[in-house]
Amino acid sequence: MKSVKTDELQIKRASDAALASLLNLTILPVISFIALLLIHRKTQADTIDHYHAVLGVKINVIAAVVLFLVSALMILLGGFDSPWTWVYVISYFTIVHTIFIVFALWALVRAWSGDRLWS
Amino acid sequence: MKYESQSIAKLYFIAAIGLFVGQILFGVILGLQYVIGDFLFPEIPFNVARMVHTNLLIVWLLFGFMGAAYFLVPEESERELYAPWLAKLMFWIFLVAGALTILGYLLVPYATLAEITMNDLLPTMGREFLEQPTITKIGIVVVLLAFIFNIGMTILTGRKTVITLVLLTGLVGLAVFFLFSFYNPHNLVLDKYFWWFVVHLWVEGVWELIMASLLAYVLIKVTGVDREVIEKWLYIIIAMALISGIIGTGHHFFWIGAPDYWQWLGSVFSALEPIPFFMMTLFAFNVVNKRRRDHPNKAATLWALGTAVMAFLGAGVWGFLHTLAPVNFYTHGTQITAAHGHMAFYGAYVMVVLTIISYSMPIMRGREAANARAQVVEMWSFWLMTVSMVFITLFLTGAGILQVYLQRYSEDPMSFMATQEKVEIFYWMREGAGLIFLIGLILYIISFFVKGEDVKMLGSSVSIEETS
Amino acid sequence: MRETFTKGMARNIYYGGSVFFFLVFIGLTVDTVQTLPKTDNRENLTEEVVAGKRLWEHNNCIGCHTLLGEGAYFAPELGNVYTRFGESTEAIKGFIKSRPVDGIPGRRSMPQFNFTDQELEEIAQFLKYADGIKVARDWPPNIQG
Repeated sequence: MKSVKTDELQIKRASDAALASLLNLTILPVISFIALLLIHRKTQADTIDHYHAVLGVKINVIAAVVLFLVSALMILLGGFDSPWTWVYVISYFTIVHTIFIVFALWALVRAWSGDRLWS
Repeated sequence: MKYESQSIAKLYFIAAIGLFVGQILFGVILGLQYVIGDFLFPEIPFNVARMVHTNLLIVWLLFGFMGAAYFLVPEESERELYAPWLAKLMFWIFLVAGALTILGYLLVPYATLAEITMNDLLPTMGREFLEQPTITKIGIVVVLLAFIFNIGMTILTGRKTVITLVLLTGLVGLAVFFLFSFYNPHNLVLDKYFWWFVVHLWVEGVWELIMASLLAYVLIKVTGVDREVIEKWLYIIIAMALISGIIGTGHHFFWIGAPDYWQWLGSVFSALEPIPFFMMTLFAFNVVNKRRRDHPNKAATLWALGTAVMAFLGAGVWGFLHTLAPVNFYTHGTQITAAHGHMAFYGAYVMVVLTIISYSMPIMRGREAANARAQVVEMWSFWLMTVSMVFITLFLTGAGILQVYLQRYSEDPMSFMATQEKVEIFYWMREGAGLIFLIGLILYIISFFVKGEDVKMLGSSVSIEETS
Repeated sequence: MRETFTKGMARNIYYGGSVFFFLVFIGLTVDTVQTLPKTDNRENLTEEVVAGKRLWEHNNCIGCHTLLGEGAYFAPELGNVYTRFGESTEAIKGFIKSRPVDGIPGRRSMPQFNFTDQELEEIAQFLKYADGIKVARDWPPNIQG
């Protein structure tokens, strides 16, 4: 599976980063993102913790854009008072949000074992 | 297969799959009745088809749970089943009783069925999911008691593992809470309140124990991860399930005349109910990631991961969507509930039974895993059924949101029937997705008959660099 | 889930947590059952209503309708049908009586149950009683159910 033995501290930090990313997507938004950025500052390029910190930031930025921007566009284009707007927005937001959460879960599990997403 | 008596499970699984087919056929009929209102009327009215659909689901899941227990308990306990003959006898009793009940639903009007079975002596019929004649309910209790006795004696006289003890707790809970189905007071509020002791404490309580233990068993087998690690996860998952789920029953007491404190108790605790499912996903992902062997049964691993994710999606996310009292005020009893019900049952209970069938069936047929071609067909059936269920859920959610808006939220609310016409497009799309689900199910059955070369385990190599 | 968190701790949380919350649940149930007389309209639970509930069950009405939001979602909510039909048991009886035996082409229709006048009265009284239950926030949100 993995070739290089990664040291404990890096795995710990990678796990923290992945957890912060997951929390930001679920019960503790914003605060967790700040924590994630702080972890990111402590890491160095080409390490596993750096990889997971960057991955977490990417997931969350993409999620924010895809969830809020697209939902906002739907509301803007569909109109606040149209029932169809809410049919699309609620269904879309729920399913896409969940996909991001499941993805972040996999990232967390990979960080625990000191791996990149796919190896 | 280590123990002869494990093969009794095969009987139960075949019956389960057979009844599953019946359930889906009636599901397709129901879906059509939603858009062509007089389809099969008055021969099979909607209420009869629905009763068959939901009762078949419950019965085949019970067959699945029993089969699963008969397969895994001897192996875990390291001994033969306490009384194999009893397991076989109960199988036939349960199958005949189940078949007669379903035929009763279909062949005579429900009121006549109530009369023939002398419901007036001990009235229990005519409540959602508990429509079975009282005599059938008594039969279910007898079968469950014999089953639990058999499994319990095997467990208690053999090696005790966390998996079997949790499974036994879940099964005893299932039997105990079913007893509330015999309590049917005249007072509607009391009736409803204790009706949930069966329905909620089953599916959002003790069934989660059964599900978690089955999943843990299959994951030990296919990943080779240390039992200690798996058992720790199992405990914490079921702890969260019961801590959130018991008081979480309160989310059913919002609008039935129960005291107001259930509004916030039910909201807060049921909002925690996604946590055990969330942890199940984390657990399944984690142990598959840390697997110490590559089991040749890829399909079983796929089902195991699938049930974890889909249970989180269906029971966790879609449950949370409408569980808070202020939201539920608008969504209660709409198609949103139907959407959640479909994906939750499929993700949590249908898929976990299919997981253990997928793992154990090849073993009972004398090989470690089905051949590669059969597994490919099985995986196709996995994706067809799972993706179509996601779409069924999305379409029903769409229908539900529109229904809530037009009938409940709008300042000039429409009548129920007028609203139903407005959301018809979603019902058509749901029916289409339902047909794809049926195709997936047919493919699933075909997968058992696909021939090819056996797949062998490629040496159970334990990788050394695992970080624990 | 590292070494600091042992299996024993997980087991204790399971046993302790589930026993504790189960006891709380029993306590709340006792309190609920004692409080119900204020809301559950038991003063109007006449023999006619009891017979009506039995009819409701014996004809599997819950297989299409919801009652206080629970049941099937194929036909209208009946927890407030008495109000919706202008507080008239006669209107409810008239509706049930008038259902065509062979349904309505292409549309949903309630079956014709061939109730006697006495039975019609009982089912209507049951629905009136159900409507009288005091539900939080006076659910459903509006008269359409």
